[in-house]
Amino acid sequence: MIVKRLWLTDFRNHLTTEIGLDHKVTLIIGLNGHGKTNFVEGLALLSGARSFRGAKVDALVASGKSSAYIRAEVEQNGRSSLVELELAIGGQSRAQVNKQRVKTFRDLGDTVRVVVFSPDDLDLIKGSPLIRRSLLDDALASISSQFRAVRTDYDRILRQRNNLLKQARGRLTSDLEASLVIWNQQLVKVADEIGDQRSRFVSHIEPVVADFYRRVAGTDDEVSLTLDASWLEEGLAKSLLSVQDEEIRRGVTLVGPHRDDLVVLLDQLHSRTHASQGEQRSLALALRLSIHAYVAQVSGDNPLVLLDDVFSELDEGRARRLVECLPDAQIVLTSATGTVPQGVQPGLTLEIFEGEVNGI
Amino acid sequence: MYDGPVQDVIDELGRLPGIGPKSAQRIAFHLLKLPKTEAQRLAAAIIEVKERIGFCDRCCNISENELCVTCTDPQRQTGALCVVEEPKDVIALEKAGFRGTYHVLQGALNPMEGIGPEQLRIRELLARIPEEEVDELILCTNPNIEGEATAMYLARQMQPLGLKVTRIASGLPVGGDLEYADELTLGRALEGRRELQP
Repeated sequence: MIVKRLWLTDFRNHLTTEIGLDHKVTLIIGLNGHGKTNFVEGLALLSGARSFRGAKVDALVASGKSSAYIRAEVEQNGRSSLVELELAIGGQSRAQVNKQRVKTFRDLGDTVRVVVFSPDDLDLIKGSPLIRRSLLDDALASISSQFRAVRTDYDRILRQRNNLLKQARGRLTSDLEASLVIWNQQLVKVADEIGDQRSRFVSHIEPVVADFYRRVAGTDDEVSLTLDASWLEEGLAKSLLSVQDEEIRRGVTLVGPHRDDLVVLLDQLHSRTHASQGEQRSLALALRLSIHAYVAQVSGDNPLVLLDDVFSELDEGRARRLVECLPDAQIVLTSATGTVPQGVQPGLTLEIFEGEVNGI
Repeated sequence: MYDGPVQDVIDELGRLPGIGPKSAQRIAFHLLKLPKTEAQRLAAAIIEVKERIGFCDRCCNISENELCVTCTDPQRQTGALCVVEEPKDVIALEKAGFRGTYHVLQGALNPMEGIGPEQLRIRELLARIPEEEVDELILCTNPNIEGEATAMYLARQMQPLGLKVTRIASGLPVGGDLEYADELTLGRALEGRRELQP
């Protein structure tokens, strides 16, 4: 998939940006605060994902405006389509492909596939389990609408069940037990599906991550990935029963996919607590690279690679080795200094100044 | 904010389902423009419906008398009892040609909205079954999370009674195209496939 042209209107500090992108490598340079990351964020939003900076719609719309528009001409298997997003403050945001409205933003992921590398990726290793769960779920959701549906159902059932537990006010009555049985059943059904897909995914990418890590870090360290989901072994139904008393006391669901974690071990040690900053960065890069490889393999499409100020955080050796690992896909990268590692040959260089983009 | 009575009407209308603040305002101004007689007719209709319509003692559907029209109809086959969430579901099934009896739960299990089994007309349903020689209970709650949960709950409650409990099928709309079905519906339809007897 290739993004040929991008329009940003009233999006953050881009009031009227219209620019064609190189089909191989586009380099964006500009001083900090002039809109490089905004540009990348706009591209990433086309895939229907939430902002990778965790921004709400209100933050995406230029100040004083009521709506932001992102449009792109995208080419997939020789066919071009027009993808459009309207982000409206307080109103209904809309998305359409070739003027046909899509039901949910997530469905845009079938047309535009993107993998973002950002300096915040360090949190994939250092951050909370939530970030790693999202990594898994976002990857799975981007290639399977069925997984998206299951994930939505799970959240809803979980909310219902938590409400039920809260209403119990710490006491197990026979009425509560009868209702709990039903919500457990419902939860178990979708949880099994999520657990199954997640664990298959993790074992699928484990060797790929290990390989990428060795290539990026330039070492022989062993990487292993496991899905930390204690309930998977004995089944959620049983696990729920064993924590039932505590759940009723605390009024919240204590086991299930919503508490899973992806454990990344480096030489058998927890990377979250034991790996050095450099090692953590390499691991995060390896995770992103393998997600790209996975999505490319399963979807048969080559996702756009967005590198937001990634090289400035890496030493020369790692930067060079990362370049060697990058897939043969369309790449958009940003840099404040304009210097890029050897091996990166931008077909197009753009300069951003106060939200205005110009070719050099 | 408008003058007292105008704002009152807007606030009251805004509480109705599916009506937001803008629509409430529009309807309120429409009402203001109406001839007095028409406005009175609307007010009278609301009062009348609240005074005259209650719930059927047997099936909990809305009814003008103690028993609703369906429950007093001698033509009904009492063997099959259809359980639905809302009165409007009864109308839908009637149109589909179902001629058994109904039971209206007046909702579905929904802890988020504080609806548990006690808030639904389940006790009434349990009382009916031994009285009415029901052979089959057809669970026609909506095919969403809350509806499925309600159906499962009822199926469990019915287990000791030893009667046949069935769940309405979900799948493709008749006369539709396969390509337009969403993946979820199509998946369900595949799961629920049946052997074709030539």
